[in-house]
Amino acid sequence: MSDVITLEELIEEFQDVDDKMERLEMVFELSEEVDLLEVEFWNDLTRVRGCQSEAHVLVSIENEVVKLKAGADSKLVQGLMGILTIALRGISPSKALELTPDFAGEMGVLNSLSPSRSNGFRNMFDKVMNEIQNKM
Amino acid sequence: MREQFPILQREVNGHPLVYFDNAATTQKPQVVIDAMNDYYTNSNANVHRAVHTLAGEATDGYEACRTTLKTRFNAPKVIITGGTTEAINLVAHAWGKANLSPGDAVVLTEMEHHSDIVPWQMLAKEMDIELRYVPVQQDLTLDMEIFEASLDGAKLVCVVHISNVLGVCNPVDKIISLSKQKGAKVLLDAAQSVPHQSIDFQKMGADFMAFSAHKMCGPTGIGALLVSEDAFQQMEPFMGGGDMIETVSIRGSTFQTNEHKFEAGTPKIAEAIGWNAALKWMEQIDLDSEHSRLLELARWLSQQLREMGMTVYGRHDDDDAAVVSFLHPTMNTEDLAHLLDARGFAVRTGHHCAQPLLERLNITGTVRASLYFYNSKEEVENFVKQLSEILERFA
Repeated sequence: MSDVITLEELIEEFQDVDDKMERLEMVFELSEEVDLLEVEFWNDLTRVRGCQSEAHVLVSIENEVVKLKAGADSKLVQGLMGILTIALRGISPSKALELTPDFAGEMGVLNSLSPSRSNGFRNMFDKVMNEIQNKM
Repeated sequence: MREQFPILQREVNGHPLVYFDNAATTQKPQVVIDAMNDYYTNSNANVHRAVHTLAGEATDGYEACRTTLKTRFNAPKVIITGGTTEAINLVAHAWGKANLSPGDAVVLTEMEHHSDIVPWQMLAKEMDIELRYVPVQQDLTLDMEIFEASLDGAKLVCVVHISNVLGVCNPVDKIISLSKQKGAKVLLDAAQSVPHQSIDFQKMGADFMAFSAHKMCGPTGIGALLVSEDAFQQMEPFMGGGDMIETVSIRGSTFQTNEHKFEAGTPKIAEAIGWNAALKWMEQIDLDSEHSRLLELARWLSQQLREMGMTVYGRHDDDDAAVVSFLHPTMNTEDLAHLLDARGFAVRTGHHCAQPLLERLNITGTVRASLYFYNSKEEVENFVKQLSEILERFA
């Protein structure tokens, strides 16, 4: 999985798999793609609010490139963080803001992309995007 | 029975749907869908005012729901609400504001759903009322000694009949009796008990009882507040508007004296017609024998889960509901629910809107499987099988 370069290729790979459980397994494996935010650095500022699981993100911009550190106690949420990490790798903040959360739907791993208290991924995605915007 | 529920014929992620999220909401039989469809197709009109044929049909359909509820629960007054939450909020505003004074005490329990905590916290802040919480003990029962002690000076006791997390049935007869001895009114949150039990409201002796249609095969967006005659006379109107008034002039208004006084605005007409169809449909169900069947399935499931290394939060005594809340020692609840969904199983995860209870249990959430009439032994056995495979592959 770590060879996967682009989000588009990842989406295609997911779409080739019929069984949702296999797709979830693929997401779980992508949890290793995150630049891990260790538990000792989790705090109220890093917490993704309104998420069933404990999920934390830390966004910075270094040399005009977005850096994301993340961690969650749900493998699914951390796997989606891994996918977002791949999507953000080496791109500028303005390019990052063009991303939409639709890729999780296109990959067929989430039943809803609507903001809600149980949608850890959507809350995480919105927090990352808000922080990029605030740091620009 | 299953063939009467069209949704149960569908597949989810390529597998037959197995719906185990009944404590959140139940599925609807075709007769309920047909009744609502028929109303919108043939009788849609506003209620209580116009004299034309459609208005008469709509009014009769709406009021038939109230009549059925009165008969089924032996209730003198039935106020139709938007659901359990609205019913409890109605007690807080219509009875609480008129009958509580600063310094008065309201007794709650740690087992309450947020809908029976938050309205009282809001009222307590507004009116300077004391809230007393009865603790949940290690054996998942209420501490009745503390309950009795908390009754001194209490004006109202709010208690959940059956916990939506644990399935534990509280000793409401004793709670009501003790409360009455101390002169406190009792509000029963019956959202999880009404779908499974026959309840005689007047015999039980509570002053208020709140529940929702959608947890008993009826539509969402509608519920009821049963009220004793005595408590009803102590309630003041909460929401003002059409339908709840007798006369309105620029000098002031007078109000209806029946339940309409608390049903301002156009009511939930289609929903009432759908709920009435659900209530009539449920008359064919032997609730006692269904309760026994589902409880046996819950006990068997709990045992299987324990053998898999899960912690089960429930005791499944004879009066408890077929709700099985559990936790795997390492696997995240959300991940588990997604994996189960991939095999067609609908379960609930999270805090189940009962965070004080989970705090007492020192956990942040559980996976919850809750059973209803249309669930079968085969589904429960398949659940155990699929769960075992998931754990083998992912845990």
